[in-house]
Amino acid sequence: MRKKLLLITLVLLGAVLLSACGGGPIRGTTWSGLAASGETAYLADVSMVYGINLNDGSEAWQFLDKDDGKAQFYANPVITPDGLVIVGSTGGTHTLYALDPNDVTTENDIKSPATEWTFKGAKGPWAASPLIVGNLLYAPNADGNLYILNLNDGQSQKQAVKVVELGGRLWAQPVTDGQRVFITSLDHSVYAVDIETYELVWHKDLDGAIPGSPAIGSDGMLYVGSLAKQLERFDPETGEHSPVLDTKNWVWSTPVVDGDMLYFGDVDGNFYSFNTATSSLNWSIQPGGAITASAILQNDHLLLVTESGSVYAIGKDSKILWPEEVGGKIYTTPAVANDLILVASLETEFYLAALDSNGRQVWTFPQKK
Amino acid sequence: MWDYFVSLFTNVLLWIYNLLGNGPHMFGVAIILFTILIRIVTWPLNAQQMKGAKAMQDLQNDVEWQKVQKKYAKDREKLAQEQMRVYREKGINPFGSCLPMLVQFPIMIALYQSITHALTSTPLDLLKLSRSIYPFLNVSDLIPLNSNFLWMNLGQPEPYYILAIVVAATTYLQSKLTLPPSTNPNDQSAAMGQSMAITMPLMMGWLALTFPSGLAVYFVTSNILGIVQYAAQGKANWSNLLPKSMQKN
Repeated sequence: MRKKLLLITLVLLGAVLLSACGGGPIRGTTWSGLAASGETAYLADVSMVYGINLNDGSEAWQFLDKDDGKAQFYANPVITPDGLVIVGSTGGTHTLYALDPNDVTTENDIKSPATEWTFKGAKGPWAASPLIVGNLLYAPNADGNLYILNLNDGQSQKQAVKVVELGGRLWAQPVTDGQRVFITSLDHSVYAVDIETYELVWHKDLDGAIPGSPAIGSDGMLYVGSLAKQLERFDPETGEHSPVLDTKNWVWSTPVVDGDMLYFGDVDGNFYSFNTATSSLNWSIQPGGAITASAILQNDHLLLVTESGSVYAIGKDSKILWPEEVGGKIYTTPAVANDLILVASLETEFYLAALDSNGRQVWTFPQKK
Repeated sequence: MWDYFVSLFTNVLLWIYNLLGNGPHMFGVAIILFTILIRIVTWPLNAQQMKGAKAMQDLQNDVEWQKVQKKYAKDREKLAQEQMRVYREKGINPFGSCLPMLVQFPIMIALYQSITHALTSTPLDLLKLSRSIYPFLNVSDLIPLNSNFLWMNLGQPEPYYILAIVVAATTYLQSKLTLPPSTNPNDQSAAMGQSMAITMPLMMGWLALTFPSGLAVYFVTSNILGIVQYAAQGKANWSNLLPKSMQKN
């Protein structure tokens, strides 16, 4: 009798433990999406999207889909020329939202933006940010499809102009050279889609998954890092490709282009400068902590964040100009706006920190009470 | 410590998946082979559980023990003392059938975590997976794993309830086949066993319905292997599957 009761208890305990393992969204399950435009930062964090005033870090508004309790956000929001904030959700209904920060309503002291339109045609999570080209939105989804939407069709429930079936999980924002849109996939593939006809121009496979976006170098070639621990160079017209650099571990981040130089990191924390003109490694350093975010260019130096919770200002000669420990773990590419460096961090009391150009903290969000 | 345990499971799963050639449906096959491996490793424990359960059931049918139960029916303290004495005399370990069961739970939870760990769904999950892969396992080219198996996505609950029904059915079968016959009408243990044969399948079916189908594949495989193990040892009580009127006492 006792043993049977023990069995029931254990089964219930097991169920509870399993439930706890697969429970609802908690902060830290994945990293945040971040963008900034004008006077506002946009942070996609777990179940919320926040508009944050850049001047003091106060909350301008917040968005929560009350109809989809499982919605989570972690792709970087994208801002349209009209000022709409486009952000996709994972979980639940996998909806892509266009929020209007200029049309805010207040309920129970909480300001929320109007939803200008939604797109519910995708079957998978939105991990990638869409790309705006003219009045079209190229939105890759983890269901393996590239959804092309018309931003100016006036529809509130958008239908795709075209669905291009690619394959694999599409986690990275596409890039374009004006003729083709290039999309990477976790199924090891790089795709080129004609920007006029939406036809697949070429499709090539690498030896590893590609979680980051490609970069178009000053030489017009496409550069792609992958989990195969290599940087590959592609001919954008034909897709012919070859490895140009072996890295020490997985390349997650998108290379940032500055003239002939590419700068990118790997998950071992190595940060590389690669010369596309000579096709050779310029230098590499290891500031500390895994690198999943892309570096960004600010004036004459680079800003790099690492998993160890630090921001580094790095000269183009590899010299570290200043390090600043923000805290927590940083995986999201920072943004620069209004002379502020915006850094989204996990496992900290705050979601977002703003630093001045010397790395000194100006404010954090949510604001300290 | 727990993370190392889950990491070990994840790496074994990835290793099997790699051996199988990482094609479509192969992660499901890897889970099945992994379950067989676990069953082989825990075979002695399961055999001990069967032995312990059989000994306890034999005791329930023992005439001397039934007399003792009758004699001390109103003196629970004395009955407990007598029970311990009989256990000692007959060499029965009262926890002999419980300990192997306890081992199953951490395995089940670790397997659940390793399946969800391997079938990463967010960038942070993928980064964490990269840290837990043993360096000698060069499986970077396997990622992301193909989570499709038959009609299922192993990282998601099975949507058509088919697997939940199969889990419940095989759990029911296993429970019924492992219930030894009882001649003691006052045998509370047998009564509880009958009740568990109903509640456990429902519970396991619910788990299969709620959690990733990869875990349900483990349940089904484990149940079938359990039945095979009982049958191989000649301890499967097939008559329990017959209606009561047709069962021989």
